[in-house]
This record gives sequence, structure tokens and C-alpha cells, in this order.
Amino acid sequence: MKTRSTIAMIGLLAAGMTVTSAAADKPLLLRNGNIITVSGETLAGGDVLIRDGKIAAVGKGLSAPGAATIDLAGRWVMPGIIDSHSHIALEGDVNEMGDLITSEVDVRDIINPNDLNIYYALTGGVTSVHTMHGSANPIAGRGIVLKLRWGGSAEDLIFKGAPVTSKWALGENPKQSNFSAPGKPRYPKSRMGVEASIRLEFEKAREYRRKWREYERALDAGRARKGRRPSPMPPKKDLRLEGILEILDGKIWVRCHAYQSEEMLSIMRLCKEYGVKLACFEHALEGYRIAEELARDGVAISTFADFWGYKWEAYNTMPHNAALAAGKGVLVALNSDDAERMRHLFNDAAKTVRFGGMPEIEAIKTLTINPARIMGIDKWVGTIEPGKDADLAVFSRNPLDPFTVCQMTIVDGKVLFDRDGYLADRKKAEEAGKAKDAEKKAPKGETPGGEV
Amino acid sequence: MKKFQVWGNAAAAVLSAILTLVPSLEADDSLHKVWAVRDCRLVLPTGPALEKATIVIRDGLIEAVGKDVAVPPDAEVIDGSTLTAYPGLIDGLGKSLLKLPEEKLDMLKFYTGEFSDKDKGLTPEFKAYDYVNLGKATFEKYYKFGFAAVQVMLDRGILAGRSAFFSLGDTDKAKALIPAASCLGIGFSPSGVQAYPNSLMGVQAYLKQLFQDSAYYDMNLTRWLKEPAGIHRPDYSPSLEILADYATGRKPVIFLCRNQNDIRRALALAAESKLDYFICDSGNEAAEAIPELKKAGARVLLAVTFKAPSSSLYAQKGRAERDRAEKEIYPRNPARLAEAGIPFAFSSLGTDDPKSFTEGILKAVEAGLPKDKALAALTSVPSAFFGLEKVLGAIEPGKLANIVLAEGELLVKDPKVKVVFADGRKWEPKDTAGKTGEKPAVNVSGKWEITGEGFPKLTVEFVQEGAELSGKMVTPFGVFEFTGGSVSGNDISYEMNIAVGGQDIDLYISGTVEGETTRGTIVQGTSGSTEYTAKKIPN
Repeated sequence: MKTRSTIAMIGLLAAGMTVTSAAADKPLLLRNGNIITVSGETLAGGDVLIRDGKIAAVGKGLSAPGAATIDLAGRWVMPGIIDSHSHIALEGDVNEMGDLITSEVDVRDIINPNDLNIYYALTGGVTSVHTMHGSANPIAGRGIVLKLRWGGSAEDLIFKGAPVTSKWALGENPKQSNFSAPGKPRYPKSRMGVEASIRLEFEKAREYRRKWREYERALDAGRARKGRRPSPMPPKKDLRLEGILEILDGKIWVRCHAYQSEEMLSIMRLCKEYGVKLACFEHALEGYRIAEELARDGVAISTFADFWGYKWEAYNTMPHNAALAAGKGVLVALNSDDAERMRHLFNDAAKTVRFGGMPEIEAIKTLTINPARIMGIDKWVGTIEPGKDADLAVFSRNPLDPFTVCQMTIVDGKVLFDRDGYLADRKKAEEAGKAKDAEKKAPKGETPGGEV
Repeated sequence: MKKFQVWGNAAAAVLSAILTLVPSLEADDSLHKVWAVRDCRLVLPTGPALEKATIVIRDGLIEAVGKDVAVPPDAEVIDGSTLTAYPGLIDGLGKSLLKLPEEKLDMLKFYTGEFSDKDKGLTPEFKAYDYVNLGKATFEKYYKFGFAAVQVMLDRGILAGRSAFFSLGDTDKAKALIPAASCLGIGFSPSGVQAYPNSLMGVQAYLKQLFQDSAYYDMNLTRWLKEPAGIHRPDYSPSLEILADYATGRKPVIFLCRNQNDIRRALALAAESKLDYFICDSGNEAAEAIPELKKAGARVLLAVTFKAPSSSLYAQKGRAERDRAEKEIYPRNPARLAEAGIPFAFSSLGTDDPKSFTEGILKAVEAGLPKDKALAALTSVPSAFFGLEKVLGAIEPGKLANIVLAEGELLVKDPKVKVVFADGRKWEPKDTAGKTGEKPAVNVSGKWEITGEGFPKLTVEFVQEGAELSGKMVTPFGVFEFTGGSVSGNDISYEMNIAVGGQDIDLYISGTVEGETTRGTIVQGTSGSTEYTAKKIPN
């Protein structure tokens, strides 16, 4: 863990950006950059002052005595990228395929803080991710929002205050139509069945709650009679149904994998009926077809820029999906769903400008404040404004420029990735390695007093 | 020695023949004797060793220990003046004494999808005791490195089954068993079949629910037994009946942790379900979780394989980085735990045979683990962990006579173990003086055909490297491999354990090579011996 911060520090001293002094607790001043604040104007020649891991000030000509300073030399700064749909930093399978409903399962139990993909994500300016269960089940396990505090423990990674999510899936995956599992086909085998299995589980959970209420009433009644009868047996705890109750109570936010517009509309009706907080459709490749309905009900979409056609339910779309939906007032995020794509999400955002003509700032929002709102963390991240977490990504050019490169990534005010520093450090290590090899090859007779 | 009939017997067992020939055991003269080890250097649990000490052993137990202990008149005296006495070492958790029946994969299940609990790795009913295989040859492998007790447990699946503790004195497992609390092994490895739970996160959720169910079952049954009026009895469940003891903390579980994340998962489960538990650190990463282990007051069983788990950063960074970590970082794991004051015993899981186990422990010592801590992790700590502090772990009156007499130190690469008392039974290495050390004058590598009276034709294939001999023997009952044989001058010797018709047989084979022919003796355990002739099969 130490080596990583050393790398970052060495990096700061290397070419490109210059740092006057650096210490962990000192304020950090980023000077002379193009600051895409997202919340307001983009500042040319702007500064960002970071104190105690938070953004203290944004403006021009800021000064902070005693602060470490990084001269951005005209580089671009945007809020740290937020990936609203990913599966990184997890150990083991991301699908619990053994049962239809697995609301008792929680990815929190399998966070691997040593997953190298966390660091790779930082190299692409990503600072927070929503990491989640796969799409094998109509109601699958809980997902969680992570802040990429590389070097920290699993507990450190957890984005405190972010709502826990519940992963749902509609369509081909929960139907298990794209692969064959052994044995009797698992119910359901139709889209109707997928929805019915969710409804059925809601009813089971309500019945479960009724049993507990009955027990509590009997307990109270027993207490009133002063223990003349033995206290009643409590019902058996069922973690799966307790997970469903959390969904019904709106304590956890539903993130529903879906492609087709019809099934999205249908599940929106179901959620309304039961009062469930449906936060977002994942992928939602046909989202543009029901943009009005999504906007009306406040259901967001987390989608790809131009990834489609990989199965029949993913054909009826186009790279204009994000722009069209956003144009109708839908909250849209672009996501990776993949550790590699995660490293260049800014390229994907640029595609929404090219296809669909999304305004540049709206394209930036699909990676920042929009996913922050979808994930319920917009209080803390998603824009560059005083009081928010100092999660920033520094780019060589405008992040939407096809030739842009992420130079530096800052999380909670700490530089966790610095490209120049990393490259300098790597060069040093290579040279040290060469020197060592050369030493080995040196003729043996030269050892002082060396006579064997 | 009389001729044995093992092969006939084995064939009988295998072929269900009419004859039943029971190999008659010779009287075991090593038992129920009185010994006095005089003038030895006695290693104590703490502090400096006691010089010129006498140890009296009677009837399998230590009768007296000390400087001024009189030698009883009925004692056979062992001169210990050149020897150091150590408590018999304890393998805190191993599986190498298990012999499991071979199982065929039932492909039909992959069509029907009807997987049993066993397929899913849910076998709380599995008892190590039922599958343990104790044999003299196996014992000797342990004795050579000073081991005299082992806790045996299977380490696969989610509910791996229950452990059994053995003192390696008698090959009759009923006699060898030490009735300590049987631990339940819990692993985080999903089975890989299409059945719940089949993911790591699913396993964690499953276990949370299972411990609740087991405790509920226990509560329901207890209440019903006390006052059945007005209460439904629980549906009988053989597995919940077993698990209830563990879910309520009456008996300890052992979490089999493949990496530091498993350790944290285990600690979370243990805290939530209020379990009595041990952490088995199979992934050698416990040192990465020291604050958590300390806070929980956890007891740890440490494997000494020092392989970087795939979840580790080192393994993800490529071969060079992984190799470096396995050389420099992982062997420091025991030393770091010792520095942090976390109590630990050693486990042979992953190393499996006593030789590699010892090598692993020595690697930990080289990496900074003080030797006395290493010794404690093989004696007093495991005995205390499993409630056997009055039985094992030190040379003290009243305890089992599990004692190792060595020339010089025991925790070295090739310890000079001269005598082992295991459960009061005396063992000495076969006198090979003058034989070993002599340079091999032959190379027997290749195939040989063995014939002799009373057993079927056998083929043995030797691999000789220097003085070391290994290979495999092809018998009508299967192919059996062996290692650890030796060649000295014209003499060869090797030993092996073979399973025939549900019977385990130790064979000691020695012979003298003359050109293409070898003549010698096969000794079968304690049952007898026979002569053989082996002819080299031309390549």
C-alpha cells in the first residue's frame, strides 16, 4: 500500500505538472486549468482549492498560503467519473445462479479491495462505481456504491451514505434463454413469468410480515397477562424475505436490468402498485421509445453509448438512445458494465455528442452528476463546487476530445493516480532492473579479495 | 517371522472369495511398558530447558518428570545423555490421514440437475473419524519429524464435516482417537454445480441463514422438550441437529479461509452468529487482517504453503511479482502474527505430508518467527486450543506419553529423531547405520517384475535420483505410488501403503541388487514377511 502513495508522490514531482510541496494534510491548490464544474460555467484558467478532502473553493486567481500547488498548465479538470453499472472489486462469481430470487445475497460480502481493476479505473478518471450482482435472477442480490480509495480496505471503499441497491433483471437472462442449465428448466420461461415471479415474492414477503406482526401482538398480549402462558414461538427469520421487505419499504433502491420498452413499462406499473422505489433501468436500450413515461415517473436509465446487437432483445436501438432519452428529460447515465470499458468512458460520452447531438455539458453529466443522482450520492459528488468531495479527473485535453488522456485522478483530495509519475517510476524501475542484470553479468574475478 | 498371506487375503476381499484369512498380528511388545529416560535435556513450555532430567513413562502416561526423579526398578532405562526431549508435535489441522472412497462423477446429474447436498458441498454429517486411515508406515512419516498427534478434517465444500483428534500411537483408530470436541469445518468454496449456493456471496448469505435456522431449531426443540404444550415440535432434520451445537457456540467451527477476505467474512459470520470458532489461514494472509483478528480475539490455525492467493495484488501483477511475494512476504505471515500477539497453531493443510509441513515451518522460522513460538504453535498452543492442555503439549506428569527424543534440535531440516513415544508406544527409526550414506552402486530406474510365494505377480517402476528412490507399483488391485525410498550401495529399500478391498496395508520392501535381479524381503506391517525375486524388464 505504501508503494502506491510513493508512486503518486514521485509522480507529482515529474515533468508536466509541477508541485511546489506536498503533504497529505496540507491543502492542495490546482491552478490554471479548464475547470468543468458541471454545476456552473466551465472556467478557463481556473483554480480548485482542496482542503480536508473537500473542495474548498473554485474560481480564478485563488491563493492558499501553505498549500501544495499543482500547476495544471491548461489541462482540463472534470468531476471524477462515476460508473453507475459495474462489477469490479468483487471476488468470486457476480451471479448467484442457484435460485430464482436471491435478495439475501449481498455483494458487500465479497468486496476485494485488492482488485487491480480499481487502479485501472482510476487511470480512466473514474472515482466512484456502483458495483452489483449480475442479471441471472428477477430479484437478485444487493449492490453497493464504492469510492475508489485505492489502497484502503473493503470498508474504506464503501461510499458512506449511498443507498444500497437491489439488482433486478427482466428478459432473456432471468429466463435463462441464452445458456442451458442442467435439469428441469427453471421457472420462469417467459417475460410474463419473470414479472409474476417478482409479484409472487412481494406477496410472500407481505405474508411473512403478517406472521411477525401476529407474533408481536401475541407477545404483547402475553406480557399483559403477566406470563401465565408460555411466550409464543417467534416465526423463523427468513433473510431472503427480509431483503424483499427492504425493497417494499423503499429502503433500498431498485436497479432493474431491462432492454425492451414493453417490459419496462410493465415493471414500472408493478413498482407503482407496490410503492417500490425504481431508481433506474440498466442498459435500457429501448429507453428512447418510452422516454416520456420514464421522465414522468422519474425512472432513470443507465446505458451504453454504442454497444448493442449482442442478443435479440438488444437489437432495437441505436447510438442515439442516450441523447434522445435525455432530450425528453430522462435522467441518463453512461456506464461500463465492464472493467475495460470503464477506463475510457469519456470516449463514450463523446459519442453521444456525435450521435444524437447531445450538448457537450449534458454528455459530461452522463458520467458525473447524472449517475450521482441515480445512485443517491449527488450531495457529495458529481460536480465541482465548494463543499463537495474533492473527487477530480485531470485530462490532457477536453475530456470529449478523441485524443484526450487522463493524466491524474484525485479521490478525497488525494492523488491516487498520476500518469507522469507512474511512467517515471516505471522507467526508474526498468533502469534499476537493467543495472542489476549488468551487475550479475560482470566478470567474477573482480570481487575484492575474491579467490575461491 | 512367518509368511504372510496378505495378497491372498486381499484377493479374497476383493473377489469376495470363500476363504477369509485374517492376518494375525504379532504381540505388540511396545505397549504397556515402563520406561525411564535418564539424563536428557528436557524442553519446557517456557524458559530454558532442564538439563539432566529424568522422564518416567508408565502405561502410556507420563508418571514423573524432573532432575531428582528416581528410576523405578521395573523400568527399562533409555540413556538420554545425548538426547533432547520434546513434547510430541501436534499438527493442528491436517487431512493427509484421510482416505476417501473414490467417487465417480455421475454425469446423469448434469442432465437432470438433481444434485445432492453432497454435490453442493453440504456435508455436516461427514466425520473424519469414519474415513481416517492409520498405518504404521504413515505414522513413521510423522515420527521422523517429531509429530505424534493430528487433528484430522476434510477441507472441501461449504460444510466440510467434522474433525477428529488422534494421538498417533495405535493403528486402531478407536484407540488412537482423543475425544476432544469435534470441530465443524466451514469453507467459502461454492460447489460449481448449478444449485444454491453456487457463488461466494451466495455462500455467505447461505451460511448466515443456516446458522439462524440451526439456532432456531435448537431453541424450538429445547422449548418443546421442556414444555410441549402449545408449541409445535420442529420437523426433524439430521443436519440441523448436528449444526445446532455449532450454531449455539457449544462446539467450535473452523473457518477454512483461502485469503484475507475470507478471514473477514469468517469474523463477520462468527460475530453475527456468536460462534465459537477458529480461523484456518490456508491462504497465509492472516497478517493482513491483524487488527481485525486482534479485535475479535481470534485463534488461528496457520498453513505454511506461502502461495499468494489469486485475489492478492501480487498474483494479479504477474509472475515476477508473485514469486517475489511468495519468497519475501508470505513466509513472514507467522512471524508477523507472533509479533502482534495473535495466538496460532500450525496446520499442515496444503503441505499435507509431514516433511513438507516441517519445511514450511522452517521457512517461517527463517523469515523471522522465533523458534520457541514455532514450537509452541506445535505443542502447547494447539493442545490449549482444543481443550487438551491436560493431555498433550508438554512433558508433564499425568499427560499422555507423547515424547520425542532427538539428537540436537528438533526443528531443523533433517531432525535426528532417535526415539518417539506416541501414546506410550515406543518407536525407533530402523537401524540403517552403515547402509545409508553409502553411495549408490546401482541405478534401478525402470520396470521390474516381482514374483514370490503367496502373492500375485507385481510390476514396480522405479525412479532413482541419486540415492533417492520413488516410483509406482502395479498390482491387481490398482496402482500405488511411493516416495522416500533409498538406494545405498547395492541395497534398496522403500515402503508404501496400499489399499486392497477396503483394507490398508503397509509394506516395507528391501532387497539387494545383483545385475538384473533383486532379491529381498517384503514385510507387511506387523503381520509377517515373505521373500521375493525381482527381474528387470528390458526397456
